[in-house]
Amino acid sequence: MTEKKTYIVVPAYNESEVIGLVLDELHKQNYRNIIVVDDGSTDSTYLKAKEKDVVILRHMLNRGKGAAVKTGIEAAKILQADQIVTFDADGQHEPHDIKKALKLLEKFDVVLGKRDFKEKHIPFFKKIGNFIGNLITWLIHGLWVSDSQSGMRAYSKNAISLIETTADRYEYDSEIMREIVRNKLSYTEMPIHVRYTEYSQKKTNRQSYSGAIKTVIRMILSG
Amino acid sequence: MEFTLIQLILSLVALIFLGNRVIRFLRKERTQTGFKLILTLVVWGGILLTSLFPVTVHNLSRSLGFGDNLNTLIFFGFVMVFILLFKLLASIEHIERNITEVVRKEALKDIKL
Repeated sequence: MTEKKTYIVVPAYNESEVIGLVLDELHKQNYRNIIVVDDGSTDSTYLKAKEKDVVILRHMLNRGKGAAVKTGIEAAKILQADQIVTFDADGQHEPHDIKKALKLLEKFDVVLGKRDFKEKHIPFFKKIGNFIGNLITWLIHGLWVSDSQSGMRAYSKNAISLIETTADRYEYDSEIMREIVRNKLSYTEMPIHVRYTEYSQKKTNRQSYSGAIKTVIRMILSG
Repeated sequence: MEFTLIQLILSLVALIFLGNRVIRFLRKERTQTGFKLILTLVVWGGILLTSLFPVTVHNLSRSLGFGDNLNTLIFFGFVMVFILLFKLLASIEHIERNITEVVRKEALKDIKL
């Protein structure tokens, strides 16, 4: 049996401080097919990623996380990926979890990373925000998941060919649930470990409270 | 003719907006259009007339068939504003998606198998 062509899609916006380390970690785990989408960063994210052995794409304007992920997925499709894993660029995800996700992908079309919100180091606003996100996702798309906003997900070739999204920003994460329901895709949730570092909490481009409210409004309007 | 404080404030604000728009239009500033001028004249002119001559506007609403219920007219105004707002939001969303598509096409142009 030939080995499946796996692509890791890393959307990045102003992550110059950590993007190099994140890509090194992925390389250490022997993931060679990596697509970084620089979403119109104003820092040196693009240059830092370009130093590494990855496919680097650049949005000339900042279009949001959802748009960047979709661009990465489109690129992976052109490169004939058999399966895709999306992975955040801020270093919060553990590369070890990718292997587990790919294993589950043998049985399911979509694997959704699930953060353990009982972990003490996860900020309180993240817990509340995630619950609201889950509730709205369930109300709009009819699918209850325990982490509707997780950035780490894995998709089979079947899922890649069927999923169609339009959301540019964070509501993209919930739109995937709509697509799972619409296309009757099999899915599972997989516990993942997250590292909320000082960097990830301090960075200015993480979703603000007002941004979260806008995301909720956009989710309702686009639902 | 006596004016209440609210009438004075509303008239003043309406005059400022009307004056500002008319001056900018006469200066032929690049961002000014006839449509904007007409819209300002209708909206702020309407507010000015209503605040200066509330009785006349009340009589006008009665002759238009709204009876004594001026609130109906205001309600229709709100409905119109909401319709316009939704049209505007839909149009912005459409433009945003088109921009993303252009940005994506540009980002993917060198990708080859």
